[in-house]
Amino acid sequence: MASRPQPDTLRGSLDLLVLKTLSLAPMHGWGISRRIQQLSEGVLDVNQGSLYPALQRLEKEGLITSDWGTTDNNRQARYYRLTASGRRSLRDELESWRRFAVGLEAVLQAAES
Amino acid sequence: MSWAHGAAARLRLLFGRPSAESRMEREFRFHIEMETERLVREQELEPGEARRQALVLFGGVEQHREALRDGRGTAWLGGLSLDFKLGLRMLARTPGLTLVGVLGMSVAVTIGALAFAAVDTVTSKALPIPEGDRVVSIQNVDALEIDNGRGTHLHDLADWRQNLRVVEDLGAWRSVNRNLVVGEFIPEAVRVAEMSASGFRLTRVAPVLGRYLSDGDEAVGAPAVVVIGYDLWQNRLGGHGNVVGRTVQLGIVPHTIVGVMPRGFAFPVNNKVWTALRLDPLTYERGKAPHVEVFGRLAPGASLADARLQLTAIGQRLTTAYPQSHEHIRPRIQHYARSFLDGPQLTWQLHLGQLVVSLLLVVIGTNVAVLVYARTASRAGEIAIRTALGASRRRVVMQLFAEALVLSGVASVVGIVAARFVFRQVDAMIRQSGADQIPYWMRLEITPAVVLYAAGLALVAAVIIGIIPGLKATRHRVAANLKEHSGNASMRLGRTWTALLVTQVAVSVAALPFAVSGGERWVRLMLLDRDTPATEAFVIATPHLDADAAAPGFRERDNAPRARYTARVAELASRLEAEPGDFHVILMSRTPSDESYLEVDIEQVPTTSASDTAITRANGALVYNRVAERYFTSFDVRQLSGRVFTAGDFVPGSRAAVVNRSFVRLFLGGGNALGRRVRPAAQQPDPGTAAAAGPTLWWEIVGVVDDFPGLIAPDALRPKLYLPLDPAETYPLTLAVRAANLAPTATAERIREITMTIDPGMRFATIRRLADIMEDGVKLERLAILGLVAVTLSVVLLSAAGIYALMSFTIARRRREIGIRSALGARPARVLAGVLSRAMRQIGVGIGIGVAGTGVVFRLAGQTASTAELVMILLLMAGMMVIVGLAATIGPARRALRVQPSEVLKSE
Repeated sequence: MASRPQPDTLRGSLDLLVLKTLSLAPMHGWGISRRIQQLSEGVLDVNQGSLYPALQRLEKEGLITSDWGTTDNNRQARYYRLTASGRRSLRDELESWRRFAVGLEAVLQAAES
Repeated sequence: MSWAHGAAARLRLLFGRPSAESRMEREFRFHIEMETERLVREQELEPGEARRQALVLFGGVEQHREALRDGRGTAWLGGLSLDFKLGLRMLARTPGLTLVGVLGMSVAVTIGALAFAAVDTVTSKALPIPEGDRVVSIQNVDALEIDNGRGTHLHDLADWRQNLRVVEDLGAWRSVNRNLVVGEFIPEAVRVAEMSASGFRLTRVAPVLGRYLSDGDEAVGAPAVVVIGYDLWQNRLGGHGNVVGRTVQLGIVPHTIVGVMPRGFAFPVNNKVWTALRLDPLTYERGKAPHVEVFGRLAPGASLADARLQLTAIGQRLTTAYPQSHEHIRPRIQHYARSFLDGPQLTWQLHLGQLVVSLLLVVIGTNVAVLVYARTASRAGEIAIRTALGASRRRVVMQLFAEALVLSGVASVVGIVAARFVFRQVDAMIRQSGADQIPYWMRLEITPAVVLYAAGLALVAAVIIGIIPGLKATRHRVAANLKEHSGNASMRLGRTWTALLVTQVAVSVAALPFAVSGGERWVRLMLLDRDTPATEAFVIATPHLDADAAAPGFRERDNAPRARYTARVAELASRLEAEPGDFHVILMSRTPSDESYLEVDIEQVPTTSASDTAITRANGALVYNRVAERYFTSFDVRQLSGRVFTAGDFVPGSRAAVVNRSFVRLFLGGGNALGRRVRPAAQQPDPGTAAAAGPTLWWEIVGVVDDFPGLIAPDALRPKLYLPLDPAETYPLTLAVRAANLAPTATAERIREITMTIDPGMRFATIRRLADIMEDGVKLERLAILGLVAVTLSVVLLSAAGIYALMSFTIARRRREIGIRSALGARPARVLAGVLSRAMRQIGVGIGIGVAGTGVVFRLAGQTASTAELVMILLLMAGMMVIVGLAATIGPARRALRVQPSEVLKSE
């Protein structure tokens, strides 16, 4: 099993992860946390409850919106989905994240050599 | 549209707090259940264990909740319910403060609510009918105020109807008093509204039976018809469906009922009987027509300003066309509901008065704030610990605010309940006398607006008593307050509080005399038994006689057929006296407790020539009554000196007068009154003649009688002038009737019955027990005094409590100093004297200012308390303040003296 990541590393990128996850399909809170865990293969194991303040924050910023819906096994759940500006924001964030990752990688490579 | 999504989400989060909380709970529950099921499914855990692990994975639920609340910006609300609970607990823990605070503030809220409701209803622009704010009143005003301008209304109405395009349904009304005779019932005097048919149309209220008046009914010679009100239909006509077509008699004229108006309808003032207005302007000279009032409804789309503009133009044209009658006449249009107020200044003054009354709450609120601050000061340690544990200043202040809101909220509820009680009392009083003169839409009620106002007052009070002391208490640094928790005071009561203390004492000293004298009077009013033998069985009846209401410039008083009236009253009196059952009738011009005021000149030195006479003007409280010969013996008014009236005083040309004890005491310094002469002051009508013409003549005092029995000050102590009655010159006359073998109600009934057989046009404006009439006079006063006593007592109580709190606090703060001084060997007496002297100095200054204030207020209020009385009250006051101050000081001081010096030093 991969070593657990530091929470601080996650906090900054949690918004990005949520936006990315929701870009695939509208989803409820538990679904989002499961999806992040599955896609990262357990590396990004978020403290599940901390997802909700992030969702509320994103909703307040108008990047996502939410509504009650029914799950496959007929339960009521709050479904979140991306708004148009959420989609734009995701694009921008991904762009800058990638630039940052490339830059960081370059620095680390140089440091190792 | 991200801003729109965001804004909607923010609003939802902020204002949909209950739903946001439940959403959060549902989401959390869903999440944990799903996770539990997953763990059971994938890791084959027991459900209990799976749930435990799901909770672990979720992290601290409470922590996430708080994070979400913080995110919503409503975290403080989450704690508010707790604050309210704490507030309630705190109120229970300090019952003294709670009682004083609630009592003081509830008095202020009661008075505030009363003033608000009164001003609100009096200044209302709208009648309680559809679009009631569009009904208007038009009045001609005499710019020179020589006349009231009403005599021009009837003629101008025709012009206004033709030319005033923006006002519809223009019409007029006036009140005429008549006996209403229904079948075999004893007649009832009613104010009949003679009204244009348009008066019904403009209210848009349909009759419950039949029809209302039509334009055809206004034609001279049309059948006499009447529309009646709901209550009259129910009470006097049995509520039968077949009343339309029945005949009732108004005075001597039979009228056919054509319709019944619904419950609550009483336009134009407070009427229950309506007949058609049949005044033909052509019959009268312009400006000399009987007085009528004009109403109308603004046409759709038109504003009051439009109407004003048009009306002014019409007015100018009329002034040019009829200079003789209209030279100084200016038409004025206003909301009908407001037309019963005397001009816009009064509205403004009423609002100003209301503001002043509301300020009372600020004063009382400040008083309570002092108390709360003293308590908050003693909680400085607690506040410091909370702050150290991470509570923000805002959080602490919010808690104090919530506590204050609980206190002021309770006070508001008590205040509203008290206001409701007062409203009922006043309403009952109004109903008993003269209800038909008060516009029907003016009602003292606890409306939603009043409740809202009281809630607003509670909020303001909570800000004063919670937030201000809270901010002050949390201003100091945590460390300093923590030290306080270990025994050292750091919160100070500086100059502000000294000033407050001095003000408290001053206000109490100034206010208490009023409370004491008011309270004393109230007790006397409560204890008074007005059923003294003299007044016990008397019924007062004031007969009027219908006059020709179509007479030019009609006023009942001027147009009543005097000779017929005098004859009818004389017949009534003799018929009553001839009744079996020992009837006794006395004639007079006014009811003994309700006499007319008069300004007179009093001759100082008895002399035969009028030229060198020193004259004093006696005015103010002097009243007069014109009475028959046996007035004094019948009412048991004791004769003190000289003589009472004899038959010789009732012949024309006789100028004998009798005065009462108070007259002699007040105007003649208790000296000899016999032979002194009085006359009405210049420019006043001579009460001896109906007309005011000619030089006024002197009346000579021939006797002094005691004050009227059964009355109470100031009525009882009112200086009174009695003159011989000339029935032929007096309208209306008042009869006091006593039947030895009949109860007053039966006597009243018999009077009505006999009157009916003499003249159906003779009606009674008043027919009641004398004792009840006397009671009326004091009832309102009793209520007013109760209010005054409540206010002043609450001020005094609050001040005393404030002084107590401040003094104990001061001593507590100097505990250490006292301990050290006694450790250094100072004698307890000296130490105490040192501590007390400052407090006593402050109280002394307060008393000084208060005494000066009282003197000024007494003079301004025209109080007639003697100097000795005043000094007594003030001494009492000062004594009480000193006792309160000492009581507040001694306990803490003694505790301080018992403190071991070593303990005090150790705690440092």
